Parts: sequence; structure tokens; C-alpha cells
Amino acid sequence: MGLLAPLFLLGLTALAVPVIIHMIQRERKEVIEFPSLMFIRKIPFHSFRRQRIRHWFLLLLRCAALALLVFAFTRPFIRSPALAAVTAGAGEVVILLDRSYSMGYGDRWQRAKEEALDVINGLAADDRATVILFDSGAEASARSTTNRASLTGLVNDAEVSAGVTRYGPALKLAEGIFEGSDLPRLEAVLISDFQRAGVESANGVRFPDGTELRPVSVMPDDLSGTANVSVAGVLFQREYFSGRERVVVTARLTNRGDEPIDDLEVGFEMDGREVEMLTADLPPNGSATVDFAAVTLGDAPMTGAVRVERDALPTDDVFYFVVSPGQVVTVLLIGNARGAGEANLFLSRALGIGSSPAFDIRTTTIDTFNASDLAGRQVVILNDAPPPVGQAGLALREFVENGGGLFVASGERSVWPQDGLDLLPGRLGPPTDRDGRGGSVGFVDYSHPVFELFSAPRSGDVTTARFFRYRSVEPYDTTAVLARFDDDSPALTERQVGDGRVLLWASTVNSFWNDLALKPVFLPFVHRLTEYLAAYTPPTAWFSAGQVLNLTEQQVGLGEGGLVGADYVVMSPSGERIPVDVGDRTGFIDLDEQGLYEVHDANAAEVQPLNLAVNVDLSESDLTAVDPDELASAVTGRVGGERDSSAPVREVSAEALERRQAFWWYLLVSAFCLFVAETVVSNRLSRTTLSAD
Amino acid sequence: MDTAQITPGSRFVDPKVLARIGSLDLLARTVVDGFINGLHKAPYLGVSIDFAEHRGYMPGDDIRFIDWRVFARTDRFYVKQFEADTNTNFSVLFDVSRSMNFGSKGITKLDYGRFLAACLTYFCTKQRDRVGIVTFDDDIVARVPPSAKHLEVVLHTLDRIQAGRPGSFERPLFKATEFFKRRGILLVISDFYDEPQVVVDALKPLRYGGNDVMVFHVLDPAEIDFPYDDATSFQDLETERKMPVVPEKLREQYRQLIQEHISTLSKLCGQNRIDYALFNTAQSLDHALFQFLAMRAKLSRMR
Repeated sequence: MGLLAPLFLLGLTALAVPVIIHMIQRERKEVIEFPSLMFIRKIPFHSFRRQRIRHWFLLLLRCAALALLVFAFTRPFIRSPALAAVTAGAGEVVILLDRSYSMGYGDRWQRAKEEALDVINGLAADDRATVILFDSGAEASARSTTNRASLTGLVNDAEVSAGVTRYGPALKLAEGIFEGSDLPRLEAVLISDFQRAGVESANGVRFPDGTELRPVSVMPDDLSGTANVSVAGVLFQREYFSGRERVVVTARLTNRGDEPIDDLEVGFEMDGREVEMLTADLPPNGSATVDFAAVTLGDAPMTGAVRVERDALPTDDVFYFVVSPGQVVTVLLIGNARGAGEANLFLSRALGIGSSPAFDIRTTTIDTFNASDLAGRQVVILNDAPPPVGQAGLALREFVENGGGLFVASGERSVWPQDGLDLLPGRLGPPTDRDGRGGSVGFVDYSHPVFELFSAPRSGDVTTARFFRYRSVEPYDTTAVLARFDDDSPALTERQVGDGRVLLWASTVNSFWNDLALKPVFLPFVHRLTEYLAAYTPPTAWFSAGQVLNLTEQQVGLGEGGLVGADYVVMSPSGERIPVDVGDRTGFIDLDEQGLYEVHDANAAEVQPLNLAVNVDLSESDLTAVDPDELASAVTGRVGGERDSSAPVREVSAEALERRQAFWWYLLVSAFCLFVAETVVSNRLSRTTLSAD
Repeated sequence: MDTAQITPGSRFVDPKVLARIGSLDLLARTVVDGFINGLHKAPYLGVSIDFAEHRGYMPGDDIRFIDWRVFARTDRFYVKQFEADTNTNFSVLFDVSRSMNFGSKGITKLDYGRFLAACLTYFCTKQRDRVGIVTFDDDIVARVPPSAKHLEVVLHTLDRIQAGRPGSFERPLFKATEFFKRRGILLVISDFYDEPQVVVDALKPLRYGGNDVMVFHVLDPAEIDFPYDDATSFQDLETERKMPVVPEKLREQYRQLIQEHISTLSKLCGQNRIDYALFNTAQSLDHALFQFLAMRAKLSRMR
């Protein structure tokens, strides 16, 4: 017998209260009128000792009730060998059932469910079990229950998902269940195809000591016959023909089997109609591409799919996508009246290349620039030219404040007067000459979208360019310096003006003052810079299953207003309506299924819905398996994950014992019953006394 | 029952009670004077049909009552005398001392006595007896002489009774003796808080006057059982003296004393041919009356 909170025993001092109450001989203050005291007067006078216990039964009731109450608060439990023997067989069993889409290969899913049902049917009467369905996430609907029916129902209703295998979340969830369990035997049954791709996520998971992990593999012992063809992705090549945009779709196919595949039929669909059917030959463990005929795009995005012949794992045999019409960023290039052609040469050539987005460039000079030139433009580049004055200057300022982008490239003629247009991120100073080999860019903020592209190794280095002359810039306090020269002078600065952005480049964007234009990074630098100023976001052709999408951030949306503020109705590929306005997740949808989602505007039925293509993660198509015992050993710390028979039985903590035995509950109920009995008895005694009065 | 339509005090005549005792005859044990033929035996020989005795002829006797058959056998003149049924006086002597104003079960002894008196008075009226009442405490409080027309007055008197003063027996009962020159039935209702001998001594003159005396000893259950627990002060209702009492210590002795008092009183009453009955106010009224009248009838036959 133990007590979880023995300090509550101090409450037993309260037992003195009823004893004292019973010891008190109350002398009534009121006088009882009696017809005659003639008989009482005849009785010889005696003095009596007043303090004594009256109503022994009532006293016992009260003391017992109080004692039980106090005892209940001490939370007693029994730690006896007999009780331990009774509970030794009870176990906490967690069934981890892999439902990633690779489990849809052949009859693996059916076998996995049968294995899970066998485990459930084999549970002892006092075992508690949990079924965790997992792919990249884990879900435990019936948690630590003895209800076999709910567990069986859960397994029977489970379906293969579009997710990938990640053992980590499921094992962590099981670990949490084991740590919260008070049963002496802990056992996990992992039913999976044990793909190697999902093992890495299990790093750091360690089950409590004594836990047994029993891996149940549904993979055949001989994997030599396992073949799987998947559509790994598609590429779009855009071209313009007769003023219409066309796109050529190239599908990439992979063969993960050991046997070559010849004449594999590959179908191409656009907007639900089959456009073309080709054949492809795939080498063993190799890939191939298939180019389909060009398709002319309309004004609206089109949905498409590439399918290969159905194999044992059909989920990755199809690839969905959405092809949007090519986006165009409109640019107004303003040069100086003299020599504008040479100065703009590199810039206009660089922007002339590119299809996603394409850049529509219009060129003018600062002398002829007027407000009407800004119509329809997203970005203005002021290349080695003074600021516009008068109405043109005001128009330019209004353009930027309304969300337009302005790029100012400094040069010989970039004289910005003190009282000139207040748009620059800093005060533009006189040119600085660098002798010898010139200067270079010493600092680049790679976290900025303009330079993010160059953050990866061998993705371009802007520091290789030599700068012989640049203008000094004295940035304002609110100005962000995105790049600096090696003498710490700002090279690229940014300022937010209204809703628009202004970038100031301290040198030229041609070969006059530096050789940046001759470097390979010039083209992507200019493209990224212009896209950033135009706030361009490329349309997403497809998403991956498991992604969470914020609809309000989708630029290409329903009608002119986009998705912002619209009442959405989202239909999943399986035809299910997905609620979008759930609590603080309004606007977010979980892309759990493979296929095409449709987002409708509930207030505008005539508007074509927004289509979102969702594809499975192809890492799951790699069916390479890991040794199940290897995973079990990593998680349990023992070879094969089996229980060490010599290890002592897991000692159940006092808290767990007390929680399971829950004697306090019975004590509390008993105390309550005694209090009720006390109330009845004392009321009866009081009534007797009153009636006697 | 609409009390506004009836005589004050008639609420004490419980029809249920009368239904129970109506099956019995309230027969007087002794011969009383009377004017109206009734069920009671008259103390004087009269004109009833029941033969009583022969008496020697006296000058002036009506010769119609001479028994000629006896004359033929004895050659002497005897006249026949008949017992004459008549009515009697029924008077209630009601103790209205303060001790009667005690009740632990919702009904006081005074009320209980009122019920008893009213029931018997009404019953006697139906037997064409003359009814009256005397209330007393330490002295005579009120008196209604027996009369065949005094039922309403008696009931009205019962209704007005208020117990306010200490009581005694010698003085008021001695005075009351003067009221009952003609023999009748006297019913004394009291709690008899006095020494039994004193009580009986006070009743004797009434008995010696030829009256048929009945004693109703009315007590509350608390006076018999003394069910008090807590130590407290008790106050005598009549003397208003207070006394600290630990009831649980005195209970047994008290019960013994009260039982002795009852038994002594009963015994002394019996010795003086006074009918004694103890009434517990917890008992139902009709049941108590029935029991008493049954006993009374039995005693009457024995005599």
C-alpha cells in the first residue's frame, strides 16, 4: 500500500472536529415550560459530568466519512506482487500502418490490413491498442483503447493516401503513447513496405526501454521482379506561332525495374481530352523523355495530364499539370537623349531573352518621356539619365506609389539635383574611380529575392565583375542596402515608396563603368531584378500532395480580383467539398489527394474555376526497401527490436498504479454515501429532539 | 363544517366521536332524581313498568297500587312500587389551571379536555339529561347549572375557557359540592397535579353527595415519557419556578414517579367508587371515550 500524496494525511486532524462537537454538551438557552415540576423536585439532586460522547453512531459516521475523504485525497494505491502478476500480461500495443501510396503496389495494402487485423484479433483482453495510420504525417484516431470494434473499423476503413512514407512522425507519436502508458508491456507493430526513403525521418526516435518493435513487412522477399514506371514530371517549352502562344510538353519517364520496357504507351491529355498517344522505350533503372506535339494555348489556363500504362503501382503512372498562358512583364526603358542606344544595349538585349516571363520593352529618352508612356508599364528603368521633371516627374512618382517598380542605373549623366524627384533610396553622390583592377562587389544579401538565385554554389557570382567607376550613395535610414562594393560603398539599395519599389544601382548596366554586363550573371541578375520590381510570381503548374496552399496568395485567380475576398468552394479530385473557412485556417486547403482540384467562386458561377494540379512525391516511387530489423534496431536500441527476455519487467510508476487502480474514486463515493447517511441520521435525531421540545 | 352557522363550542362535538360512542348506553349507576323519563334509573320509585318492590300500605297511598294477590296470600295490604326511568344531571368539572395549557403534540390538555367534555355533554343531551359545567382553577371560574337547555351554554363556556392561573382541588371542589344538591353524574377533567390523597379527599364530598363521579386524568405524552435530552432549565407552568434539569439522568426516576402517581390515584379512586380513566392526548379521542364508556357499562352491570 502506498500513498501518492501522503501530506494529505494531515487532514486526519480534522477528525477531532466531530469528536469535539460530540463532546460538547449543549445546554439549551431556551427554557422548557413544563406543567409541573412536582415529580422532578422529588428526585434527589445530582450533579453530572457534562463532557461526554453522545450519539456514538453519528460520531462514527462523521469520523468515517472524514477519514475516507482524507484518504481519498492521499490517492492510495496497492503495490502488491499479486496485483503485479495480474497486470503483467497487460500491454500497450501500437499498430503503425503505412498508408503511403507505395502501399498500393499490387496487393500490399490488402496484406497490410490483414496483418493489422490479425494483430488486433490477437490482443489479450486487458491489452490496450492504438492504430496509427501514417504516410508523411501520422494520425491516431482510436488512441489506447480496448475497443476492438473501433480498431477493426478503423483498419477496414483506411485507404491508401497520396502521401509518401515518413516513419519519423508515426514513431514519435507511438513514442508519446508509450511514454504516457502505465501498462508494463509495450509493443509496437510496424506494418509497412519499409522504403528506404522514409527511414531518415526516424532519426532521433527512441522508444522507452523494454519496448518491443515488431516489424511486419509486406514486401516480397525477392524484389527482383518489382517493376515500376512513373511519370517523373513535365517540362514546358513556350513558343509563339502566328501571334499565338504554343507550348510543347515534354514528359520525363522513369523505370525503376531491372527489366527494360519497350513500347510503353504514353498518353497526353489536355483539358480532359486525349491529344496524343506515343510510345517510349525505357532502359532498366533508367529514364526517358517524350515530346508531345505543340499545343496552342488560349487565354485561360489549361489542365493536362500525362499517363503511362497502368502497372502494379498506378498512383505514379499519371502526372497532372496546369499550363497557364505566358506572363509578360512590361518595361519602359528611359535612356539619355545622347547615346541611349549604346547605353541601353546590354539591358534591352538581356530583357529581350526569356519566355517565362517574357519582357515587353518600350524604349524612350528622358527628353521625350511623358506621363502617357507609363500606361500599361510595370517597371520603369531610368538608365544613366537625370530624373524627369515637371508633370512627367510627378507622373513617375505616382506610378511608383501605385505599385510600379523603378530601377535607376547610375552613370555619367545621372545627376540627381537636391530638389529633384524624391524617389531614390539615398543621396546620389559624385562618381568614384577605382584604379588598377577596379573594385568589386564585396557584400551581397543573398536572402533578397534579387540575389536569392545566386545563393547556391556555382549558381553565379556577382563578385567577379570589376567596377572601375561608380557613384557614391548615401543611403537613408529606411533604405535597405542589398549589395556593397568592396570599399563598403552601397552598390544596390532599395526603397519602398508607397506600394512600389525603387532600386538604385550605383554603377552602369553596360560596359562603360564595369564589366558586369559581360559576365554570365548579368542576364539572370537583370531578369530577377526586373521580375522583383514587377512583383512577378510565376504560376505554379503543379503542387505536391501534402502541401498546404494559401488560396489568398494565389495571384492567378478567379476573375480580375483573384481569390482575395472571394467565397471559395473547393472540390477535391474525389469530388469532395473542402471547407475553406475553418477557424483561423480560412483560405488554407490541404492538398491531400492526387489529381485536379477546382476552386470555384461561390458568388460568380459563370467564372471558370481555378484548377490546381496535385501530384504525388515521386520519391515514393522508389520502392527500394530497407531491412526492417535495421529500422527496429535503430528505434529500440536492440537488435531486431525484440524484447530482451532477461530485462526486468517494466516497473510501473506509482502514479500509473494509482491512476489505474483509482481507489480514490471509491473512497470518495463511500465518503459521499456516509455523508448522506450522516445527514439522514442527524436530521432524524434533530427531529426527535425538536419534537420532544 | 361551517362554524358560523352553529353554536360556539359545537366544534368540540366531533360527529365521528359520537358515532363511536352512540352504540353504547351511558347508564347511570346510581339512582338519580329526574323529571323526564329516560334510561337512567330514578332514585325514587315511580310510574315505570319495571316492578321494584312491595311496601306496606300506609294511609294515603293510592289504593290502585295495592297488590291484591299478595293480600290474598298474606291477608295484609302491600302496595307495589315500580322503578321509574328518568334523566339525570350531568356536570363537568373542568380544571382550567395553567398546567392544562401544556401540549407537546400540537394539542394541549385543555383542548383535549374540551373535546371530551363537549362530546359527553352532547351525548348526555341526546339522552335528555340535563347538562352543566363548572370550571375551576384555584377557585370556581365559571358555572353553568345543569339544565336540559344548557347545551349551547356549556359549549359556549368550553369555548371561552382560558387557562391562566395556578390550580388546586380542595377549595374549588369543596365549593362545587354546594352546587350539586341533586344527585347526578359528575365528570372531573384535570391533570391532577397534586398528591393523590389530596385529590381524592377533594372528590369525596362530591361522591358522598350521591353523585356518580368520573375522573378523567388527562396527560400529555411528554409528561408520561419525559423524552427530553439536552440539559436545560425547566419552568413550572403554575408556579413559574425554574429548575436546571438533565433530563436523561432524571428520566427513569421521573417515569417511575409519574406511574406511581397514576397508579395511586387510580387505586384511591377505586376505593372510593370513583371511576378513573387516564387519557393520553396522543390517543385518539373517540378511542379513549369508547374505552372508557365500555368500562363504565361493565362496571354498571357488575353493581
